[in-house]
Amino acid sequence: MDGPDVGWYLIVAAILFGIGALGVMMRRSPLIVLLSLEIMLNAANLTLVAFARQQGNLDGQIFALAVMAVAAAEVAIGLGLIVAMARRRVPLDVDQASALRG
Amino acid sequence: MDSAISAGGWVCLLSPLAGAVAIALAGGRISRRAAAWISVLTTFVAFGGALVVFVGLWAADPSDREHVSTAYTWLSAGNFDVELQILVDTLSSTMMLIVSGVGGLIVWYSVGYMEGDDEERRYFAYMSLFVFSMLLLVQAGNFLLMLVGWGLVGLASYLLIGFWHHKPEAVAAAKKAFVMNAIGDATFALGCVLLIWSTGSLEFGDVFGQVDSLSSTTVNLVALGLLGGAVAKSAQIPLHTWLPDAMEGPTPVSALIHAATMVTAGVYLLVRASPIFEAAPDVQHLAAIIGAITLLVAGVVALVQWDIKRVIAYSTMSQIGYMFLAAGIGAYGYAIFHLMTHAFFKALLFMTAGLVIHHLDGEQDIRKMGGLRSIMPRTHVAFAVGGLALMGIPIFSGFWSKDGIVSAAFASGDALGYTLYVAGLLGALLTGLYTTRLYFAVFRGEPSEFVKEHAHEGHGEGPRSMTIPVGVLTVLATIGGLVVIPGVWEPFLHWIDETAEPLVQATVAEDYGTSAIAVSLALIGFYLARRAYEKGRQFVTNPGIWRVLEHKLYFDEAYDALFYKPAAALSVALRRNVEEPVVERSLDEIGSGTIQVGGEVGRVQSGLLRTYAVAVAFAVCVLVVVFVAVR
Repeated sequence: MDGPDVGWYLIVAAILFGIGALGVMMRRSPLIVLLSLEIMLNAANLTLVAFARQQGNLDGQIFALAVMAVAAAEVAIGLGLIVAMARRRVPLDVDQASALRG
Repeated sequence: MDSAISAGGWVCLLSPLAGAVAIALAGGRISRRAAAWISVLTTFVAFGGALVVFVGLWAADPSDREHVSTAYTWLSAGNFDVELQILVDTLSSTMMLIVSGVGGLIVWYSVGYMEGDDEERRYFAYMSLFVFSMLLLVQAGNFLLMLVGWGLVGLASYLLIGFWHHKPEAVAAAKKAFVMNAIGDATFALGCVLLIWSTGSLEFGDVFGQVDSLSSTTVNLVALGLLGGAVAKSAQIPLHTWLPDAMEGPTPVSALIHAATMVTAGVYLLVRASPIFEAAPDVQHLAAIIGAITLLVAGVVALVQWDIKRVIAYSTMSQIGYMFLAAGIGAYGYAIFHLMTHAFFKALLFMTAGLVIHHLDGEQDIRKMGGLRSIMPRTHVAFAVGGLALMGIPIFSGFWSKDGIVSAAFASGDALGYTLYVAGLLGALLTGLYTTRLYFAVFRGEPSEFVKEHAHEGHGEGPRSMTIPVGVLTVLATIGGLVVIPGVWEPFLHWIDETAEPLVQATVAEDYGTSAIAVSLALIGFYLARRAYEKGRQFVTNPGIWRVLEHKLYFDEAYDALFYKPAAALSVALRRNVEEPVVERSLDEIGSGTIQVGGEVGRVQSGLLRTYAVAVAFAVCVLVVVFVAVR
């Protein structure tokens, strides 16, 4: 099989996932949180595709396509929420949107 | 011919049901009169069906007088099937004629008696339901279907006793009747379960064929279960306390259910299941002993009652005691014969009592009555005929049947037979006493103030719909016994013998000898009662004994102390010591505990999105570690 070993892809995906996870955990702007989520999803996609290539079948690739579709839908909803927050002059800070506190 | 017999059976069974359903569904759309006549008509259609069956069987060859007609398989479980089937043979066709015939007359009588009542439609729907249930009981081809009819007559009886539901006593009496009957229903059902378990069938033919192969313990238990049902339904000691109270219902109900038909269902069961009882002779003798005790106790208690209907009710218990006695010694023909004549004369007595009560605006206390002979001459004749038949005076129907039972007791011999014989003769004396006492108190003497006040001229003795059935029953009570004349012709007994072969047969000499003794005892009773009446005395002069009898030997009080009070005390104790401290408090604890835990756990929910993200990430890491480590 051509190209680098599957391990390299997994390392890249792990780094991407870590960046995304840290972004979700540390940033306060909902826009950046959303962005970081996308990075995590794409890290997962990368592993899926990498394994699909290693196994030599298309299951992983198809699943990656499904993830992309879900991600697109999620972005549409997420951005819609953020726009709605901005319109109502709710501060764009996830720490302040804490109405669910028990 | 076979198809005609089966068709007659089904018409007889379903016609009253159709009547009940029609009245119930039509509701307010038909007039009260129309509902009444629907009920009368469907009952007489049933009588027509029963006649077809009877004539068909009569014409058939004696070997071909048992017809089972199956509609469909009602219940099927493995090898055990119960079919919706009716059995017509000589015994059930006789019962069908009695139930639908006497029932039709009484429903007809009700048309006049219930006129003007607010809820006539409901009354007639119940009456039709009762006639259907009773026919189901006597026509059932297996024990389960019989049990269904058994329960339904109990239900109809409950509904009709409590018909005047604005009267608290009527409602209480209805409940009492239902509960006492439920005890019998339960033992009957247990007997059936035991039969399924031991024979795998409930069909009469199958069961009776297998009786001999069963262990004696099983047979005895089954027979005891059936006897329990019969004792409760037929108001025999010790489950008799409901019958006198059941007199709270309308008088035609007392005549139909609590004298002529339902209360004799126990006797029918004893005769129908005679193969089982013959295999358990001890239980069968127990039935005879219960009958003898009941006939004496009820006869004595009847001496001190003041309510006209209660006197007749105790007399009913006493007469059913005779039937139990007969069935218990195996004189099945005489048991059914007395059942039939009793249906005639006891229905007649109740209906004439109903005429009297109707005439006196609902008064039932015989102390306020008297002298009605001149005011209601035709009612007086009918009552006198009923009374003579009840006392067993020759020619009248009761003479032929009751004396037959007593002489059969003599013929069965040994100590038990002679004891029963003496009890039967003493019963004849008691019957003479209480019947005459009632007759004189109501009809003889000068009209009392109360009677003068209520008996207006031109009132008549009752509407025609009441007097015609009374007339028919007067004729039947007079000549209805002539189907058995010992030694001369006994077609009725031979007819029943084909279904239930008797165990004893009195000789003609025994029959007439017994009759002579019984009739003279009844006449002595008549003479004593008459003398007591003329001197203005009661038979029981000792106030202590009087009190005991007036309280009906304290059965109600004893049951209250034995069953009701302990049960109520136990309930209260359980409520105080278990329900309140344990159940209710633990429920409270569960509730408040949950609220408290919720409050504590709620603090974890910070509402900060990033905290949640950290928690998820941390949890995933832990899971990964666990996953790797465990593997």
